[in-house]
Amino acid sequence: MPVPLPGGTLRAVAEAVLPGELAAEGRERAVAAFERWSEGLEPVAELSHPYLVPEVRYSGPDPRPGWVAQLEGLEKECESRYGKGFGDLDVPARRGMLARPLGQAGPGLGSPASAAHVALALMAHFYTSPVATDLCYGRVIAKQQCRGLEGALGEPAALAGGGGP
Amino acid sequence: MKRVVESDVCIIGAGITAAMVAERLAERTSASITVIEAGGRTASLAERTRTRARMLAYGENPYPNDHIRDQTGTGAMYRQMVVGGSAMHWGGAIPRYSPEDFRIRSLYGVGFDWPISWDDIEPYYQEAEERIGAAGEQGPPDCDPRSRPYPMPPLPLSYNLARMREWTDEAGIPFWTQPWARNTEPYRGRNVCQRCDTCAVCPTGAKYTPDFAFDQLLAAGRIDLFDRTLVRRLTLDPGSDRIALAEAADRDSPDDPVEFRAGTFVIAAGHAWSSHLLLLSANSRFPDGLANRTGNVGRYMTGHWYMSGYIDLPMRLYPGVFANNSLLSHRFASPGPLDRYLRHDLRLWESNVGRAPRLTNDDGRLLWGDEIMADWRARTASGATARIRAYYDVIPDRESRLTLDRANTNALGDPMPRIDYRAADATIDLEPHTLGTIRGRFEELARAGGGAVRSTRTSRLFEHPGGGCRMGDDPVTSVVDRRGRTHDHENLFVVGAPTIVSSGCANGTLTFCALSLMAAEEIGKEGLR
Repeated sequence: MPVPLPGGTLRAVAEAVLPGELAAEGRERAVAAFERWSEGLEPVAELSHPYLVPEVRYSGPDPRPGWVAQLEGLEKECESRYGKGFGDLDVPARRGMLARPLGQAGPGLGSPASAAHVALALMAHFYTSPVATDLCYGRVIAKQQCRGLEGALGEPAALAGGGGP
Repeated sequence: MKRVVESDVCIIGAGITAAMVAERLAERTSASITVIEAGGRTASLAERTRTRARMLAYGENPYPNDHIRDQTGTGAMYRQMVVGGSAMHWGGAIPRYSPEDFRIRSLYGVGFDWPISWDDIEPYYQEAEERIGAAGEQGPPDCDPRSRPYPMPPLPLSYNLARMREWTDEAGIPFWTQPWARNTEPYRGRNVCQRCDTCAVCPTGAKYTPDFAFDQLLAAGRIDLFDRTLVRRLTLDPGSDRIALAEAADRDSPDDPVEFRAGTFVIAAGHAWSSHLLLLSANSRFPDGLANRTGNVGRYMTGHWYMSGYIDLPMRLYPGVFANNSLLSHRFASPGPLDRYLRHDLRLWESNVGRAPRLTNDDGRLLWGDEIMADWRARTASGATARIRAYYDVIPDRESRLTLDRANTNALGDPMPRIDYRAADATIDLEPHTLGTIRGRFEELARAGGGAVRSTRTSRLFEHPGGGCRMGDDPVTSVVDRRGRTHDHENLFVVGAPTIVSSGCANGTLTFCALSLMAAEEIGKEGLR
């Protein structure tokens, strides 16, 4: 079993990097989904074969020990700098601490499994999710969800609760 | 201890072309049929819901154990070696070639004519569509000819594709729905498409994969399937050029060879492994390999190249609704008279390129939470991206070759294949004209929609590859005749991709299947029971 990610710090990170419009409930769903995904991650797994490429590709080594260390490091640095926990900082201060590791990344979010920092992994996991896509467009696109052929021509329905431009 | 297996017909390979041959022979003869596959079984339909979920979450291969570690070559080739072949993973696109593909030398003075015509192959296209279960839309008859309707109605357009078709109509270029091997009605015991949008692994069974056909044939007792059994060479009858047997290794018991004896042998091992087996089977009478008296085995390896691009359009689309459907045009595959040769298809998909969420903005500033969402919304509110691609015809060259790579051997010591593709000088000479014209068509399309081409790229990967055992009436320039029978061995057939003369500008699988059915018809005349 992988070592669990420190949940309190992870949630404090989520508050800094996920959209505020998710509110606490939506944010908690996003973090829980990331935790489930992280628990299911298998290091050095065989990946889908690219088209007409005879070499077999594998995913990278386990990123989770590094992510755990990063979250523990945030707490330790916070304690040293401010004498309090990461979650006790206000959101701008948390972003200030995350800006340095995230500043190495971009412009794209990449894939969560190859993210060098846990904050980026969380962001990549959420922003590439069907939930985030629906929120962006304000429509029930429900990507990757199986559905029948009927109604294919219709414009996706408006998302209950808003979202979109 | 050596095992001996005897049958009327021995099919080597268990991919889609093998399924076509086995199914037709099983239906129309009472011949005993053996199918041999080097690979094993992979995820069953029941397992594909789980493997799909893992593919989506982690990018994992949804078909575990779909290859053999030491059975791989060099150059562009499929990695899969499994019951079902590379058509386990395929998206299911099944366009036909165009009538022009079969006579480009006569029509345009370049490349090669096939020994068969469109009229010869058309009934077998239909038969292949019916066996697979094709869902398609009739395009304009002058560039999408067919004698009978598709077996199933087309996949419905998504909202996105419907908007895009309004745009292409505005441009005056006819587009229609890509034909797919995906059910739009219950078909041959398989489900209807649920638009899961992961067609490489279909969790509902709506996409045709050859394992369905083999399972039905096995259940009916019409074939014997030997999987995890690697055919290493074919051996001649003493004193004649007939094939007597296939020597194989049982991968679970490699010290116990298996000998498959049959009246007729069919190599259905795809574009790489078919030529490879013939070359591996060299003997004192055929020192350069079986069926290779005139030195054509492994030559004229072919495929098509492409230009692709992204077009920004001033319309609101919703990427993710059904990205695995697409629009198709064969207008420029059937172009009529030409001053300079160029034939290509056009494909259009929804896309989120340039409109995905991002970590930094155009100035390189880090974005957080609501800023990411606001930036994403601003780039999707009134604009959308279409992906476009044009496969164009590449003239194969005789020096485009598959050879045995003595430096790369499997655990049994057999050399593996190496493919060095090459296009004929005519294609290279035409390339500036080809790419310039296609780019111009992308721009013309973009302008018609009030948009602009965001980016283009070109690829010289020989896609939908074939060749190596090309067909022809003249043994001096070909390996098999128009029905797939090798010129050198009366009871040896090669079917599918290896036998094509050129790969046109459309996905090849349906053509490979149609050619296999033509061969199967001939095999069925062999005095089989």
